[in-house]
Amino acid sequence: MSEFEPKIVGFFCNWCTFTAADLAGTSRLSYPPNIKIIRVMCSGMVDPKYVIKAFLNGVDGVLIGGCWPGDCHYINGNLKARRRVAMLTEILKQYGIDERRFWLRWIAASEGNMLQEVVNEMTDKLIKLGPSPLNKSHKADLVLDS
Amino acid sequence: MSERIGFYICHCGINIAYRVRVKEVAEYAATFPNVAVSRDYLFMCSDPGQELIEKDIKEYNLTRVVVASCSPRMHEKTFRAACQRAGLNPYYAFHMVCVREHGSWVTENEDKATKKARILVRAGLKRVSYQDSLIPSKFSVNSNTIVVGGGIAGMQASLDIASSGFKAYLIEKQPTVGGHMLQYDKTFPTLDCAACIGTPKMVAVAQEKNVELMTYAEVEHVSGFVGNFKVTVNKKARYIKSNCTGCGDCAKVCPVEMPNEWDVNTKMRKAIYISFPQAVPVRYVIDKRTTSPCKTSCPAQTNVQGYVQMVKAGNYQQALNIIMERLPLPGVLGRVCPHPCETDCRRALIDSPVSIRDLKRFAADNGKFEDVPKPEVKEIDKHIAVIGSGPAGLTVAYYLRLKGFKVTIFEGMEKPGGMLRTGIPDYRLPPVILDKEINNILSTGIELKTNTFLGKDFTLTSLKEQGFDAVFLGIGAHVPVPMNIENEDAFGVVDAVPFLRRENLENAGSAKKHVVVIGGGNVAMDAARVAIRSGAETVSIVYRRTEKEMPADHEEIKGAKEEGIEFITLVGPKKVITENNKVIGIECIKNELGPSDKSGRRRPVPIENSEYIIHCNMIIPAIGQKVETAPVIKDTNIKLTSWGTFNVNPVTMQTSEPGVFAAGDSVTGPATVIEAIAGGHKAVKAIERYLNNKMELFEQEKEQENREQQISNQEKQDFLPIPEDINIVERGKPVFIEPDARKNSFNEVDLGLDETSAQKDALKCLNCGGCCECKLCVDQCKAEAIDHNVKDEKQIIDAGSIIIATGFDPLNPSPMKQYGYGKYTNVFTNLEFERLSNATGPTSGKFLKRDLNDPMKFTDPPKSVAILHCIGSRDINYHEYCSRTCCMYALKYAHLLKDKCGHDTIVYNFYIDMRCFGKGYEEFFKKVQEEGVKMIRGKAGSITQDSNGILTVTAEDTLSARMLSIEVEMVILCTAMEPRSNAEEVMRKFGIGIGADGFFQEEHPKLAPVSTPSSGVFLAGACQGPKDIPDTVAQAKGAAAECLALSAKGEVEVPPMISYIDPDICVGCQVCIGLCPYSAIEYNEFKNVSEVNSAVCKGCGSCAGHCPSGAAKVRHFTDKQIFAEIDGLLLN
Repeated sequence: MSEFEPKIVGFFCNWCTFTAADLAGTSRLSYPPNIKIIRVMCSGMVDPKYVIKAFLNGVDGVLIGGCWPGDCHYINGNLKARRRVAMLTEILKQYGIDERRFWLRWIAASEGNMLQEVVNEMTDKLIKLGPSPLNKSHKADLVLDS
Repeated sequence: MSERIGFYICHCGINIAYRVRVKEVAEYAATFPNVAVSRDYLFMCSDPGQELIEKDIKEYNLTRVVVASCSPRMHEKTFRAACQRAGLNPYYAFHMVCVREHGSWVTENEDKATKKARILVRAGLKRVSYQDSLIPSKFSVNSNTIVVGGGIAGMQASLDIASSGFKAYLIEKQPTVGGHMLQYDKTFPTLDCAACIGTPKMVAVAQEKNVELMTYAEVEHVSGFVGNFKVTVNKKARYIKSNCTGCGDCAKVCPVEMPNEWDVNTKMRKAIYISFPQAVPVRYVIDKRTTSPCKTSCPAQTNVQGYVQMVKAGNYQQALNIIMERLPLPGVLGRVCPHPCETDCRRALIDSPVSIRDLKRFAADNGKFEDVPKPEVKEIDKHIAVIGSGPAGLTVAYYLRLKGFKVTIFEGMEKPGGMLRTGIPDYRLPPVILDKEINNILSTGIELKTNTFLGKDFTLTSLKEQGFDAVFLGIGAHVPVPMNIENEDAFGVVDAVPFLRRENLENAGSAKKHVVVIGGGNVAMDAARVAIRSGAETVSIVYRRTEKEMPADHEEIKGAKEEGIEFITLVGPKKVITENNKVIGIECIKNELGPSDKSGRRRPVPIENSEYIIHCNMIIPAIGQKVETAPVIKDTNIKLTSWGTFNVNPVTMQTSEPGVFAAGDSVTGPATVIEAIAGGHKAVKAIERYLNNKMELFEQEKEQENREQQISNQEKQDFLPIPEDINIVERGKPVFIEPDARKNSFNEVDLGLDETSAQKDALKCLNCGGCCECKLCVDQCKAEAIDHNVKDEKQIIDAGSIIIATGFDPLNPSPMKQYGYGKYTNVFTNLEFERLSNATGPTSGKFLKRDLNDPMKFTDPPKSVAILHCIGSRDINYHEYCSRTCCMYALKYAHLLKDKCGHDTIVYNFYIDMRCFGKGYEEFFKKVQEEGVKMIRGKAGSITQDSNGILTVTAEDTLSARMLSIEVEMVILCTAMEPRSNAEEVMRKFGIGIGADGFFQEEHPKLAPVSTPSSGVFLAGACQGPKDIPDTVAQAKGAAAECLALSAKGEVEVPPMISYIDPDICVGCQVCIGLCPYSAIEYNEFKNVSEVNSAVCKGCGSCAGHCPSGAAKVRHFTDKQIFAEIDGLLLN
């Protein structure tokens, strides 16, 4: 399993975590390439079905990045995300998706270094956890490389 | 028509290409279906790059375009515009993939970076085909601009906006505009005086008709969006109207002193003040804080702080005037009040509470009742009957009379005063005092009928027949409560109430030789102490719990003990022992303390077989009183409580019989004088309203109060802080007559404070509430500009743009113990030094050392000074950033010291690096060096002070690599500029961001230095980062230009990425309505669906994230688009 490269999808709020990712880039803070970012306007718009869809497609981890409580650009979208994530985690568990694969983190626009830390940590932990049970084709990336 | 996609990947010079094999990615993209053209190019954002896209769109009939380059936050707009120019709808056609910030710059390995880019591109190519045409909505722009912060940045921006003909609202928290710049003296490097260049700006913002200046005001709430903001401003009550001439007569008489914030507490100001002489507007302001605890804890809400201040000032008449506003019996309360105010006095946090009761008595004894101003009474033809002339009745009579009502008091006894006369012994309250105060009350024109008893001589019905319009019952509680023990009615058992009444009125000397008093309250103490004065040889107090639980006042217990009264505690009476129906003793049982009862006191539990007999020949039970209600309520609807007191509405004191009010002991049961007066005040208010048919005002006030309560619960207490260097002062000791001398006489025991100790005690007052509301200023103001009853006012302003110019806070160096700030007298901060230098500061512009014993006093100029750079800046323990101004103002200080204190003054600068980067700065550095200032390259490590106040600065001279210890007389700490302490709150209000350093984050560090992520909100000055004045002014002008651009265009495009609800799918469950933070969704009952109001929606997607049917979607972030992106990332 040493060559296992987990696939991570990040749903990042445009105002904070997405900007933090830009800042990590400008500050040249490197992190594993496993994460691929999808830009959303607010963590509160992340529909549970996006997360389910990603897991069904074989993703090994999903990271939702929102603003710190109280700092939401849209007043309280992040708090709605927090409630939704709590519920969704329970549902995913029942279908065999380990809760350690589904993260919600508050990362402010100025916290590029925190983004780097979170991605490093998540990638490390997912490597240890191994592929998601729904990841039938984690070798597919290797095929792409050839 | 099948899709034809154009794909472009940017090299970004080498920024992308050095990690991502761009050609390989382009080739990979070309293999995708529908990709008509795939290219890589050196700089896609350049003009040729954009032209390339436009040309391809036309040549290849492209329907979609994907660009892989930097972050969409950077150039999405650029490429959208290119697509639009070529005739495509930009939202339909264009998608951007980030392979620089999220790719090449964060991935170390070329293979991995290329692979990541391929996957991201794959997702982008899939997504783009699902995008829809969108047209941004256009809104008109309100041409007003809100400028928050009245420092040099805010003033400059406002003036620039005003000069273009648009309107600026300048909102400043402080009572004056000016900001930090106006606190300074000279400005580097040109040394022009800050006031000379700053005050014209201040005057200009006040005079310019297009600037609406709002000082002492704060933004409370912001709603709306670019071009259409609604800003709620709270204009704090200034208590001074705009016709204030700034003459300053009010401040001369104000007794309350506090440190002046403008002078960074190096100087005192009054509670009514202007910050500095050139303040704009030149309009005084009264500093009122949370109401002081002495006033709030007084049941009658007496303005305690006010009269204490008046005693301090020696104005005893005004002190009495203030007391009389709420208390008709000042001398009485000054003697007998249990002073809950002293319990809550914050001075007790330092040493002991102010002797408030003694000061009240002092004022009452030294002021003149006839000089207390009384309002001009306009006779009102309404007649009120007040039954009972105790404290409640007297209060009601006096204050109703002052309002012009006709009042008649009916008193059953021979003389007025109620319990004050019959219950309180003369040695505590001399009758002459009581008579004087009652006569003063009656002198207002109140009719008194004594020896007229309710139930005997008249009834409530007869009063009505006589034409009285309202009745107040203040009949007190005079009926003894029985002990319910055997032989209670024996000869020699006399209850305290009749005993005291007889002794007080007749001086009967009725006490027997050996007296036992039962009870532990004030009445028991009075009875015991009276007994010893009326012939008893021994007096014992029997109480069933311990002394700790006794409800009597501490002073009374102490007084009784001093007079030789024996305290027998943990003992309960069981039976009176008689011989020929005469008392010869009392059988008692010993108690122990059990668990607590409802009052929180531990319940006494009798110990079996512990009975014993105390021999005596008189027993005075003092265990309580009740109200004699029977003659009152006969033939009326007046209801009673289960305690046998009148049942009244607690707000209006009205009984169940309309027009009949009650207060005092007859409502509360036996209680204190001050509580009776408090109840009386409530009744006064209610009777007046009753007679004017305005009782409904109470309901309205209740709602108002509930609302205010909610607000005030949120607010923190804002008492004037306790000064740090406060001395412990012992409580003033009143003069007492020696116990042996007083035991045989009814002369007053407590002679009160003398003038010196009264003033000394009043000086202890901390002025918790700021302004003490003595209202001396009101009398003094010839313009009649002062109104103490003003309240905060809210104003809602419509504006199209907002400039935030809230400035910085100077760092407080106190936590840096090594520099001894706050401990060593002559260690100054830069801002304190600026105030010394300033002509309006504490030393009128002279550089003087502080007195070692009194930091508010200044002595002589220093002969040597050390200036320490980088205090809290460039320091990983505090702020990593450079504060950018310190090097230069440190040089300025060096120059000014040489200039003002003479060239022989030795000035050292301890610096890390000299940063003299601006125009003329390096030249200034050179000039100062030539003046002989000693420059030492090394940050000072510590300061110590010897007993003469000489300071030793220790530092490493890094140029000669040796340690230096230098003795100086004064040290100046050049402290860092910090973000404002409330920066986070401001951030949330305006929806902007904060950077890692705590300052507000600009949208782009280079290209958008005054913009924020919130469109229409701009930054100016030091709130965005440390800045000197030229940079601040430049940025302010930039921010003004941004606002003017919006206003001049008059129209703004709002991104079309907002929600919509598909009416074909919506089931009308309305869950989205509760989720929407902007109330943008409404339910259409006719169509049975929810609908989005597109003018209000901001596109957060709270609705879309939840909608159970999938009807709510955010345009440009639809399920199909996101799913396609997920597919692209995860599938092959």
